[in-house]
Amino acid sequence: MLERVVAVAALVLVVVFSFAIDGFATLGNLRVILTNSASLAILSCGMAAVIISRGLDLSLIAQMIAGALVFSFLVIGGTSTGISMLVALGAMLLLGVMNAWLIAYVEIPAMLATLASSMFITGLFRNTILDGGFMILLPRSNPTVAFLSGDLLPGLSVSVALMLVIFAFTWLLLTATTTGRIVQAMGDNFQAARLSGLPVRTTTIAVYVFAALTALLAGLITSSASGAVDFRTVTNGTLLFDVILVVVLGGIPLRGGRGSVRNIIVGLALIAVLRNGMTLMNFTTQTQDMLKGLILIVAIVTDNYLNPRDAETDTAGDL
Amino acid sequence: MSDRTANPIVSLENATKTYGGIAALAEASFELYPGEIHALVGENGAGKSTLCKLIAGVIAPTEGVLRVDGEAVSFSAPKDASARGISMVYQETSLVPQLTVAQNIVLGREQAFNSVRKVRSVARQVLQRLNFKVDPSQLAGSLSAAKRQMVEIARAVLNEARVIILDEPTAALTPEETDHLFDLMKSLQRSGVAMIFISHALEEALNHADRISVLRNGRMTVTGPASDFDRARLIRNMIGDELKEEGARPAGSRTARSALPVLRVENIRMGSMVNNMSFSIFPGEITGIAGLIGSGRSEVAKVIMGHTKRNFGGGRIWLDGREVRYALPAQAVADGIAYVSEDRKLDGFFDTLSVSDNIGLGWLAKFGRRAVLAPLSRMRQIAREWEERLTIRGIGANQPVLHLSGGNQQKVVIAKSLVQKPRLVIFDEPTRGVDVGAIAEIRQIIRDIADSGAGVILISSYLPEILDLSDRILVAKSGTIAAEFSRSEATAERVLHAAVH
Repeated sequence: MLERVVAVAALVLVVVFSFAIDGFATLGNLRVILTNSASLAILSCGMAAVIISRGLDLSLIAQMIAGALVFSFLVIGGTSTGISMLVALGAMLLLGVMNAWLIAYVEIPAMLATLASSMFITGLFRNTILDGGFMILLPRSNPTVAFLSGDLLPGLSVSVALMLVIFAFTWLLLTATTTGRIVQAMGDNFQAARLSGLPVRTTTIAVYVFAALTALLAGLITSSASGAVDFRTVTNGTLLFDVILVVVLGGIPLRGGRGSVRNIIVGLALIAVLRNGMTLMNFTTQTQDMLKGLILIVAIVTDNYLNPRDAETDTAGDL
Repeated sequence: MSDRTANPIVSLENATKTYGGIAALAEASFELYPGEIHALVGENGAGKSTLCKLIAGVIAPTEGVLRVDGEAVSFSAPKDASARGISMVYQETSLVPQLTVAQNIVLGREQAFNSVRKVRSVARQVLQRLNFKVDPSQLAGSLSAAKRQMVEIARAVLNEARVIILDEPTAALTPEETDHLFDLMKSLQRSGVAMIFISHALEEALNHADRISVLRNGRMTVTGPASDFDRARLIRNMIGDELKEEGARPAGSRTARSALPVLRVENIRMGSMVNNMSFSIFPGEITGIAGLIGSGRSEVAKVIMGHTKRNFGGGRIWLDGREVRYALPAQAVADGIAYVSEDRKLDGFFDTLSVSDNIGLGWLAKFGRRAVLAPLSRMRQIAREWEERLTIRGIGANQPVLHLSGGNQQKVVIAKSLVQKPRLVIFDEPTRGVDVGAIAEIRQIIRDIADSGAGVILISSYLPEILDLSDRILVAKSGTIAAEFSRSEATAERVLHAAVH
């Protein structure tokens, strides 16, 4: 199982960094790791649900920035926080439904549909709201911004609390709800799910809307922490790669069918510890990217070595 | 004709090919002499294609020896066979549609630097020698089925094949094209090429072959000169005697519960596979649809389910007198139609999920989809009931279905459909790839469903199964229903005749 390999790798990294880096094994640094990975974790939950249903959402980061932008724009313009939030939620609902409609009704492959919608969303929001610019600044004075970037309890930041809530919700969604069962069935064998009469189209809508909502939440947390909504996250950043990396390293196959919150946590642990350690060691972002790429390849090769696919496993139960 | 004093060019000695313990071909011995045309006949699944693939090096025998020119060989790939002069022309042609005819003919023999002109002239020469009117610069994808076959034969001739195997060469041809093909085979024969052809049309075998071999259930039943055979004798050897006994047992003791059909289908058209298919299905009765593979039976089932779309204006469907048109299988399932797929791995079950998850999801699809929280304990309990009712022998609570035997997998797929309490069940090849013990159980399950009053459609290419189970038999041929028999008037000969002619 890839999941076990990655869990062991994460543990090894923790031990190595604890000895190698001063100030890594402190409570304060743990808090930093958790707070910094909250939005990555929330995005990964949305992406994991999509991938388990044999989909892919490449527009997740564009949606994240677009959602945060709608909210920030309205708040800066003087709209009340409640109404701004409702409008932002509505926008995300529309984006999620648009993706799902392209995939389930027009039957465009998920990768192409969301690649197109990612570009469409970026262009649309930059043009209409930002007038061609790429960022707006958020007032720190806004109560929502202050709340999201603050602490809920001493030692527990709001973003980490939200991450835990989303973990719990995703767990519930995947294991206990009807939608979760259907998501798993669709990822396992989409044609069989369709022929059995499972509501594959409405479930697709539910999954992509869920992903859009996690994107909004992650967008609000990120922009509150940095004080800006910046579309360069979409065009220049590696966040989308990180999200897919977390899901895949956690052991959720890209063809879907299986996966749980445990997988997300394992993948997240490795990436979060690695990011933190590399930053503490003053690695440049280029070096960090290179190492992340190498780790993905090593993990997949190790998994193939430990769990070889052969004619035996492929033809099991043919007769 | 063939020179019987010569040694066989290809011979198989006691060849057996088993797939997962089931023999597709059992202890078959076969000899092919230079310059003879040898016909292979037998029902679907009798082992004709397996035998040909063994000779062509596509698969290797589990036991037994293949000899070429008296020398034992073991081919690991078709190219080894083609190096020994053995070429196979497949049912689904194996041309590259994006390449031209000329490029296809020289495929695999290209030099490092290819001259378009040289390739074209080589192709033109071989096509002319065979008297084929095909333009070498045309794209292979734009050719008709007959011309594609000609190109494949041309390729075999260019490869200096001494043995050409044709898998149902006439299935897609018009009568004129068929005549041309046999003329060509005769002229190749004169140059010493040996040919094996598989055919469902018995007259072709009787009129054009030098010798005929008949296969049944993976065994070679008889081989002899074509002049020794007539139609009746061929059919007797194809279906065997045990069928007579099975067929004599009165299967159709059931009568329809109602004169009103549960399903009426009129003039369904879908692509090139289904042409104006019309039939009615009555409740409490098993309606068998016999026919050859590719006669449009599965396709029409999938149209009824809403899985594939019919042509625009391509016919009408009534369920219990109400006209229906489904855009998704979910709607058909909600109305009480269930389809048990012919390829369970492709679209039948969820392979990494457990038996109870599979059955539970079937229940969920019809009865539980409105619930927000999945009624997991209810699903498990219902799944357990059905596991007992269909005696599904699992191998542990959470083992994926993938590791079950074929028979148990098939029962899971059936349970997943029956748990939806359907009014109409479509079984598509329900006993394909199923062990013998489970076949009897599955047939009993099918009878029980009909006895409970549901309408049952049984699609099967295995004639004894159709005759054993059906109360009424429809015969599909190239996308239409060609004949209908009541159980009492149906015999294997009559059904086979209707399916082939």
